[in-house]
Amino acid sequence: MAAEGGGKEMNEIKTQFTTREGLYKLLSHSEYSRPNRVPFNSQGSNPVRVSFVNVNDQSGNGDRLCFNVGRELYFYIYKGVRKAADLSKPIDKRIYKGTQPTCHDFNHLTATAESVSLLVGFSAGQVQLIDPIKKETSKLFNEERLIDKSRVTCVKWVPGSESLFLVAHSSGNMYLYNVEHTCGTTAPHYQLLKQGESFAVHTCKSKSTRNPLLKWTVGEGALNEFAFSPDGKFLACVSQDGFLRVFNFDSVELHGTMKSYFGGLLCVCWSPDGKYIVTGGEDDLVTVWSFVDCRVIARGHGHKSWVSVVAFDPYTTSVEESDPMEFSGSDEDFQDLHFGRDRANSTQSRLSKRNSTDSRPVSVTYRFGSVGQDTQLCLWDLTEDILFPHQPLSRARTHTNVMNATSPPAGSGGTNPGSNGNSITTPGNSVPPPLPRSNSLPHSAVSNAGSKSSVMDGAIASGVSKFATLSLHDRKERHHEKDHKRNHSMGHISSKSSDKLNLVTKTKTDPAKTLGTPLCPRMEDVPLLEPLICKKIAHERLTVLIFLEDCIVTACQEGFICTWARPGKVGLLSSQNQANSPSGTVV
Amino acid sequence: MTVRNIASICNMGTNASALEKDIGPEQFPINEHYFGLVNFGNTCYCNSVLQALYFCRPFRENVLSYKAQQKKKENLLTCLADLFHSIATQKKKVGVIPPKKFISRLRKENDLFDNYMQQDAHEFLNYLLNTIADILQEEKKQEKQNGKLKNGNMNEAEENNKQELTWVHEIFQGTLTNETRCLNCETVSSKDEDFLDLSVDVEQNTSITHCLRDFSNTETLCSEQKYYCETCCSKQEAQKRMRVKKLPMILALHLKRFKYMEQLHRYTKLSYRVVFPLELRLFNTSGDAVNLDRMYDLVAVVVHCGSGPNRGHYITIVKSHGFWLLFDDDIVEKIDAQAIEEFYGLTSDISKNSESGYILFYQSRE
Repeated sequence: MAAEGGGKEMNEIKTQFTTREGLYKLLSHSEYSRPNRVPFNSQGSNPVRVSFVNVNDQSGNGDRLCFNVGRELYFYIYKGVRKAADLSKPIDKRIYKGTQPTCHDFNHLTATAESVSLLVGFSAGQVQLIDPIKKETSKLFNEERLIDKSRVTCVKWVPGSESLFLVAHSSGNMYLYNVEHTCGTTAPHYQLLKQGESFAVHTCKSKSTRNPLLKWTVGEGALNEFAFSPDGKFLACVSQDGFLRVFNFDSVELHGTMKSYFGGLLCVCWSPDGKYIVTGGEDDLVTVWSFVDCRVIARGHGHKSWVSVVAFDPYTTSVEESDPMEFSGSDEDFQDLHFGRDRANSTQSRLSKRNSTDSRPVSVTYRFGSVGQDTQLCLWDLTEDILFPHQPLSRARTHTNVMNATSPPAGSGGTNPGSNGNSITTPGNSVPPPLPRSNSLPHSAVSNAGSKSSVMDGAIASGVSKFATLSLHDRKERHHEKDHKRNHSMGHISSKSSDKLNLVTKTKTDPAKTLGTPLCPRMEDVPLLEPLICKKIAHERLTVLIFLEDCIVTACQEGFICTWARPGKVGLLSSQNQANSPSGTVV
Repeated sequence: MTVRNIASICNMGTNASALEKDIGPEQFPINEHYFGLVNFGNTCYCNSVLQALYFCRPFRENVLSYKAQQKKKENLLTCLADLFHSIATQKKKVGVIPPKKFISRLRKENDLFDNYMQQDAHEFLNYLLNTIADILQEEKKQEKQNGKLKNGNMNEAEENNKQELTWVHEIFQGTLTNETRCLNCETVSSKDEDFLDLSVDVEQNTSITHCLRDFSNTETLCSEQKYYCETCCSKQEAQKRMRVKKLPMILALHLKRFKYMEQLHRYTKLSYRVVFPLELRLFNTSGDAVNLDRMYDLVAVVVHCGSGPNRGHYITIVKSHGFWLLFDDDIVEKIDAQAIEEFYGLTSDISKNSESGYILFYQSRE
């Protein structure tokens, strides 16, 4: 009834939008698709995905893009905002039978004008290594599907490596491969390397080295996406069971976890400085999680359906008093890993140093975007008041938190040093130590109390008085003792990570009981963000969002890859167009 | 009819064993039975709802314990109890059952269903739940009167005023609170309303979460829809908002996919893609009640296949012991959880013909 009129209005598809930086404009001539430009009938097929690579040629036209549509895979020169797309001449085009490409990734380290290494994952579980410039099929992995028969959900080169890559499947497993090794002619035999309640890592038992090198089993249900931290050391995984799990990739240790408000988590990304992780999922929300504090710092509501991609915009993310270049392009600069690693670390340490010593936090704004099945693009700003809430706000929140005995990092990222030193006795308003990871024992103890309290929480109606808090304190200290012993008994797995494992074991026992714990705070306990802009930009559900220096790239399930010029970058193409008519671009 | 039944049952033999093989002898849950229901001519609306209800555990358990009580005069509930009992006590784990007695009772009791026409599954669900509630309430009243006669207790006035809550209410009933704020005097009046299921409008490319948020969006009552304000003693513009105040144990959500088209003088189907997660919490709750952020799990979906309310077919997918099953009248299949996405609907507005979720059953975890 009332929705009818509104529904029609909303069917209008936006071709431009304005934020405080200025006007973003869709460049219709820069639309990439299948050469015939016919919308792909998308029902029931795998999401369209786009990968970029710069081949470092001298011309300045080094950008290449790859995308999959249905059972086809295309490789084009990407002209971005500079020139119209020329769809008549894909550098490479492949059509697959019996299996569909689902995802792909270029190796940025090895890319040259003569050769690129592109990994392609498939719906039946295989992974192919191809070179769309040389047009050779170099290698096929999991060809006989002996390793995993389920759909490949995410494939990525290990940062800084020319030969290692990681493949996630809808089975919930993830495999580390080396392009130099074969996959063997028999199903692999595995040997347990490390285990937590929600994950296990196995090595492949074999006389000669073979793929997979490692098998990760993470959570329950499909592993939907993973993302390496900018410094390449950590791996964030999101799963259909609604959990974000962040691992130290090399030491195979769980750093922290988070649970969606409800439903599966579908996408994940890191802030350029590695301090924050954003997820999107089936609760229609985006969730911002602090890597340092291991807690949810904000949620965002703007989408009308599931969120399919989240991404930070490194070019609009700014930290005052520091060179903005520090933050830009860390995604693109994997070529120089060591540089990237040092840089990210230095930024991080500088930030945290400043946070812990200055009474005023630095002026930081992070920009991220999200696209969803609602065909909408949302842009979000993470501002200081969310990142470093001032005392009144955090105190106000403390009241709601107290009865849940929320975990240590309930205070803000170190804005109030020295007010409450001990995070065990002051759960609601505690200030995490500058390096919380070195302090994991109180961590596990308190979050254990958190999960205990949530059990009580089910029984006690919300709005319990502060007496509940007092009793929780007692319980906590008792449990602390127990935990301590258990830590030792788990020492045989890995003394180094036992306390971390314990943390998982405790908090992951029942996903239903996570609400009100640091794993999944109640809606009213964390700030709710509103999007800067929220625009319907396609007919079909959106599946791609990539922030480039000059533009934003989006793509929808129909197979149209759109380029949105950033403010001030629009003129570049229009002057070209006046010289060349659209048909002239074929030449 | 008989010939057809025999044919379909024979057919079922191979199919059923395939299902057993699909699940695997070790994985097959103990004391669980997966039985298809024979279609007696356009009775898929009934079969689909009965299967969904059978896999709503609290409902099934109450129906079975009703069966265990002493023999009663035949009514729709005794017929349902007999049907559920016969499924639950089958020697075989899989097979087909003709719900003959239930269908003929249904046709006897309600003219609406006394034909071989297509019926609306949601209408049937509503009728069934209300009828069962009425039967149970009547029985409670009878029991009480019998008790009173024996004991000679006479505090009738109090007892008659209170509508007895039955287990149907305990399972499905929730409460909506309807808040109206007069824009003239700012007085807020709220009225509570009980529901057994929620009917929500659908929009293209949205989630059930969004549809529920929309359901509770503030609506302005103006011009012809003005609201009579008791304080102002006149018709005034007002804002209305409807939120969930008490959450039911099983949340049944009806997606309003059939819309009357004025020009065509008939109903058309909105095949919009409306995604529904396996886990759900509600956002559209009112602040003053308990357990408002309880977690729900999807347990069953009645799916409408086809292009309109009078043409098409109903099937049901249910979750049982961790895996998903598809019931299509007499056919039962195990399906992959990922196959559920086939029932979200269509993103293209051109085709009306879809297999799309029509009634969702979410069960509270606590």
